[in-house]
Amino acid sequence: MEIVVCLKPVPEAETRLRVAPDGTRLDPEGVKYVLAGYDESAVEQALLLKEATAGARVHAYSYGPAPRTEEVLRAAIALGCDAATWVEAGAASDDPIAAARALGSAIGAGPYDLVLCGKQAGDDEAGLVAAALADVLGVPEFGYAVNVRWDAGRARLTLGRVTESGLESWETPLPCVVGLQQAWNDPRTAKLPAILKSRKATIGRVAAAEAAETGRTTPEGFALPPPRIGARMIEYKTPQEAAEKLVRLLREEAKVFP
Amino acid sequence: MSSRVLVVGERRAGAIADTSLEVLDTAHRLAGDGGVAGFVAGADGEPAAASFARFGVPLVYWARELSAEDSAAGRIAPTVAAVADSIGAEVVLAGGTTFGRDLVGYLAIRWNAAVATGVTDVQRDANGLHARRPIFGGRATETRRLEGWHVALALRPHAFPRPPEAPVPGRVETVAPVEPSAGWREAKCLGVEATPTGSGPSLGDATIVVSGGRGLQAPENFHLVEELAASLGAAVGASRAVTDAGWRPGSFQVGQTGKAVSPQLYIAVGISGAIQHIVGMVSSRVIVAINSDASAPIFKVADYGIVGDLFQIVPALTAEIRKVRGT
Ligand SMILES: Cc1cc2nc3c(=O)[nH]c(=O)nc-3n(C[C@H](O)[C@H](O)[C@H](O)COP(=O)(O)OP(=O)(O)OC[C@H]3O[C@@H](n4cnc5c(N)ncnc54)[C@H](O)[C@@H]3O)c2cc1C
Repeated sequence: MEIVVCLKPVPEAETRLRVAPDGTRLDPEGVKYVLAGYDESAVEQALLLKEATAGARVHAYSYGPAPRTEEVLRAAIALGCDAATWVEAGAASDDPIAAARALGSAIGAGPYDLVLCGKQAGDDEAGLVAAALADVLGVPEFGYAVNVRWDAGRARLTLGRVTESGLESWETPLPCVVGLQQAWNDPRTAKLPAILKSRKATIGRVAAAEAAETGRTTPEGFALPPPRIGARMIEYKTPQEAAEKLVRLLREEAKVFP
Repeated sequence: MSSRVLVVGERRAGAIADTSLEVLDTAHRLAGDGGVAGFVAGADGEPAAASFARFGVPLVYWARELSAEDSAAGRIAPTVAAVADSIGAEVVLAGGTTFGRDLVGYLAIRWNAAVATGVTDVQRDANGLHARRPIFGGRATETRRLEGWHVALALRPHAFPRPPEAPVPGRVETVAPVEPSAGWREAKCLGVEATPTGSGPSLGDATIVVSGGRGLQAPENFHLVEELAASLGAAVGASRAVTDAGWRPGSFQVGQTGKAVSPQLYIAVGISGAIQHIVGMVSSRVIVAINSDASAPIFKVADYGIVGDLFQIVPALTAEIRKVRGT
């Protein structure tokens, strides 16, 4: 089985967000990039499936600019991925659909059975790549997935999908795309020798395919919300008084009382 | 300026999801004289189609033969794209649920649309459409220009009001389905296990959420949170401390590795406000925190705070709410 994982570098969680001078995006000055949280889960999922399946291989793909894209691919190799391909991004690198199109043409050019993506990245929170990528490849996509298992005997992938109504149980043949919502409390970490070795690993490189006349989105504004001034603290002498005051504020001031 | 808008409805418990109705105001505003049409799929989709019609959609297309027991958008996207083309729609709108977000992802390719998810505001000017959306877990917002002939947007749940019922209901017309890609023929949904939410609404759908944390001290105390939620008709959530300890299943978890919710009102009970919890609820409209520690970080993101012992405050609050609501 050829397992593909799609990885996105995102600003680390502790990043102090600042507006870039042109006002349209995050100021990249001094930002440190790491692998997106759900993508980290996707790597763990890919490696677990590989360990449970004879002859399976994991190929990591990432779309984006240098140098951060190459860095997350080396990190994926250090964790145990077998191959890595950097899909070099052009100017429109922050459009998730451009990413899906570019990844789709790169992945479609090679062998693949199962494509794993994180359900969304913590920076733009678009959650679009898995579904769009599946449509580029012409295969089904299962978003918001948990409990992914491969039943080799029946040649079926089984998984759950977490939706607003509950947990859906699915089974499907391959190939397909899975948008992973699973989170592990203790995903593996890379060992030092593997990290050192990954620095010399060969990273495949392809140029992002030029999209034809397609819909696209361009960032034109980036704003930080006014800092929350902190809660209005309710003064009270008895719990009853606290309750009455809060209910009155919710009804009359906030107007959210049902 | 006007354009034809197609709104895609989602069924929930035999009716239409609130999140689908919430897109109607925006649909009518963007459509101008262009007109709004609706779309609903599934053999049991008729009540949902009829509710769209009741809430002011003049014509609702019902793809009755399309299997839609599950919420896989990929099965439905080809028919949505075909209906959108057949009526000359320029904009498709859906609620930003798991279904709606996946749907616009498919439409980006299949229908060549400029797409955005989690949208909290859409404006039109001479340069076209512009969508605003929270990013970085609500720590920033971005505006994007949507460029192209087609636009498909998933609107953030509860960021828009539900419209009133229309004086003159619309009508429902059946429409033939378009076969999804071959892979879907063998993919099977074996069943849906309803999320244990007690009797209240589900976390993702609720307009009010009451969440409990480790401050409740033991699983047998969690009923305090559930009773407060019941008094408000709210969904129940939890911090990871609670789900990790097994007091409640993982489906209750709010936060980075749980659900992101954005209700009108979020009440955090005995939750400290770790950043991983905050990112899942900070875009709620009004936040209330109840915590015995005045320096708990949750008070930094809350609008109203009560410093005190939850074991005294919460029962008093539940009683007061019942009194005021007469329940
Ligand atoms: C990778 C990662 C992902 C994570 N994802 C999530 C996530 O999705 N969601 C999530 O919630 N957490 C998540 N966490 C965990 C998070 O960091 C916190 O540990 C967790 O949110 C703490 O839960 P808590 O607030 O209930 O407990 P605590 O931090 O222990 O807080 C309990 C609070 O209760 C108050 N309290 C105690 N007794 C009373 C009383 N009698 N009356 C009133 N107040 C009282 C205390 O003052 C305290 O503030 C994640 C952590 C990591 C590392």
